Amino acid sequence: MSRRTWTGKIAFGAAALAAAWVLFVGLPRWYPAEESAAPIGAAADPSTGGTLTVATLFYVSDDGMRLVGSPLRLARRANPTAQARVILEAQLADPPDPLLSPIPPGTALRAVYLAEDGEAFVDLSEEIVLGHSGGSREELFTVYSIVNALTMNIASVDAVQILVDGVEVDTLVGHVDLQRPLKQNIDLLEAPDTDWMPAEDASPDPDRSS
Amino acid sequence: MTAWSHPLRPVDSGVGRTESPWRDTAPPAPGAAAPAARAGRARWIGWALCILLATAAPGGGQPDPERLTVISRDGRRFLPTVTIGGRTMVAVADLMAPFGLRPGDDRRPGRLTLLRGTAVMVLTANDGIVSAAGRLESLSTPPVERRGIWYVPIDFIGRALPLVSDRPVELRSRSGLVLLGDVRVPQVAARYRRTGPGSRLRLMVTPAFEPRIERAADRLFVTFEADAVDLVLRDFFADDLLRRVLVDDRRARLELELGDAFGSYTATRAPALAGSLDVEIDLTPAAARAAPPAAPDPRPAGGAEEEGAELPTLADLTLPSTIRAIAIDPGHGGTDAGTRGPEGTLEKDVTLGIARRLQAAVQRRLGLRVVLTRSGDTTVSLDERAAIANNNRADLFISLHANASMRETASGAEVFYLSPTEYDQEPGDVRTGGGERIPVVGGGTRILDIVRWERAQLRFVDRSARWAQTVAEELRDRLPMSPRGVQQAPLRVLVGANMPAALVEIGFISNPDQEVQLVSPAFQDAVVEGLLRSIVRFRELVEQGFPADDPFGEDDAPDDPEEIRRPVP
Repeated sequence: MSRRTWTGKIAFGAAALAAAWVLFVGLPRWYPAEESAAPIGAAADPSTGGTLTVATLFYVSDDGMRLVGSPLRLARRANPTAQARVILEAQLADPPDPLLSPIPPGTALRAVYLAEDGEAFVDLSEEIVLGHSGGSREELFTVYSIVNALTMNIASVDAVQILVDGVEVDTLVGHVDLQRPLKQNIDLLEAPDTDWMPAEDASPDPDRSS
Repeated sequence: MTAWSHPLRPVDSGVGRTESPWRDTAPPAPGAAAPAARAGRARWIGWALCILLATAAPGGGQPDPERLTVISRDGRRFLPTVTIGGRTMVAVADLMAPFGLRPGDDRRPGRLTLLRGTAVMVLTANDGIVSAAGRLESLSTPPVERRGIWYVPIDFIGRALPLVSDRPVELRSRSGLVLLGDVRVPQVAARYRRTGPGSRLRLMVTPAFEPRIERAADRLFVTFEADAVDLVLRDFFADDLLRRVLVDDRRARLELELGDAFGSYTATRAPALAGSLDVEIDLTPAAARAAPPAAPDPRPAGGAEEEGAELPTLADLTLPSTIRAIAIDPGHGGTDAGTRGPEGTLEKDVTLGIARRLQAAVQRRLGLRVVLTRSGDTTVSLDERAAIANNNRADLFISLHANASMRETASGAEVFYLSPTEYDQEPGDVRTGGGERIPVVGGGTRILDIVRWERAQLRFVDRSARWAQTVAEELRDRLPMSPRGVQQAPLRVLVGANMPAALVEIGFISNPDQEVQLVSPAFQDAVVEGLLRSIVRFRELVEQGFPADDPFGEDDAPDDPEEIRRPVP
């Protein structure tokens, strides 16, 4: 009877040790590739030792007629505001070829606030205006790449208002109303209804970005 | 066809209609009014065709018992109308003599050219847009050619003929009157209602013609110093004070047939808004003669608002029923150059150039008032542009832009209207709620509805969608279009526009080929022509009250079945 008890105790202990090793040593060793996948932008530095998340960022399609979502691995942050900053910095960074960013180069994130009612305020540097080429089409892409990047990746964000150099603006370059928070826009992601679009899908292969 | 000439016609609500006892004039033959043998012959052909159509035509036209009454200094004549495909039409042959038209030389099939003096009118079968003296006018339905006879909808008389006629031509389709030349025909909108023991007949006379009111036995005569009277009587129910209201066209007077209980009457008149004259005739029963309604306005409390609905109010939130003025907004300008092409073409110059061409074309060919939000190279804010359109009471707003893309190949025109999702969360109704009391000139105050800037466009979004769609359809025939033809977006310049509004990106200036196109006169003319046609088509939609599916529906259907339409069958 006592011998049986001892055998059970030893078996239980061995199982617990094995589980602990798998959990804390084995799994990280088995999946080292996660850490070596270098995400674009400085936000997801693997040296910080943080875990990763996948976020969808937005770029201009090959034909210039829509936004395409491109999933990228970014550092995971527990705090939604910190996560928003990571996502925005990645969205503002120069993308690798062949992706084309709708945001003028040099645009910097000055601040981001998440309000409790689901509205986010994104304060960008003036390069987003000075470097903008103009046109409704391009301005829609610029604005909604930022709006969609937050609303689609952070559950608590419903709408995004863009500020420039810390102040509210009417528009960036004369078209899209920035006087209020804007909601997610999925229409811009959809392929236009047409026959003469290029046959190949404009959205880049997600693997190419890692 | 029994009521050929009927100078004294009973008018009632259509309930218990009876023949007029004063039908004293012998009806002339249908052709008697036509002075020229040629017109008479054409008319007979027209009638023969009517009968043919009634019996044989597929889809069935039917002779319409109605006809139009043409009133001019020379007297009256009648235009027979026919119903073809559910539309009231008139044979072009019948219009030739009264309006001095003669046929043109162009005998190509499917086209009809008419001349008046040096002016030329071109009709195309199955095309609802007629060219008259160089201007385009839309018709409620296209002209129809049946066995060599051309028919046009009756609104041809009010829309196309004035453009070529040397005399004013006015169609009062509601009453079936055509006013030719300098004739005075006031429109009298009448309402009759009980006011306690008595009753009141209220006449809104437009323009203000002073009536003479006399009693003769069991009648009251309301006579106007005019050539005819155009009466619209709503909601009339006979009672023991007033049995009928009759119109004597030749004497330009109304005859009120009084009831047995009638004792006396008083009449007041007061100038009303919009140059009308408000005439109130109070009828008092014989027993209550002791209390004449001389003292304070006995208007029933509930009736005031209803009656006021006939008058235009200061803050008129009803949607306009036609397009009189159009706001053209050349995008960017001044310090804001907009986008720039690879060869250096500036968006602000392209938009201003097209806006000026469009302005000239709209004024010259459509005769509409044009409001430009900028006429030179000046900086105008987006909200200011909408405010200029609002303050100048434009009925339609078009903002002109040129597009840009980081992809050089992107090309084609795109049309935008406001996406309301960002604005419909605004607290409060479109109006500020309850209105605001504003002092008015001449003393007193008036309650004005204030529309929130952020919500001004919201109530027009449906119309703006139709407007954008119409623009895209007309541009599609003339220009390369982007795969995204019509889209919604929260564009700031559209937000405050208190009218249907759209923004058109004419092409991608970032595309080298399109940059060349955008500055070429031929391309700009194509843009102007497309926008011009879309204005004509949209005006037609507005005037028809936006029929849901039938693009030419609704127009003739009386919205109020009790409304009396003349002529009486």
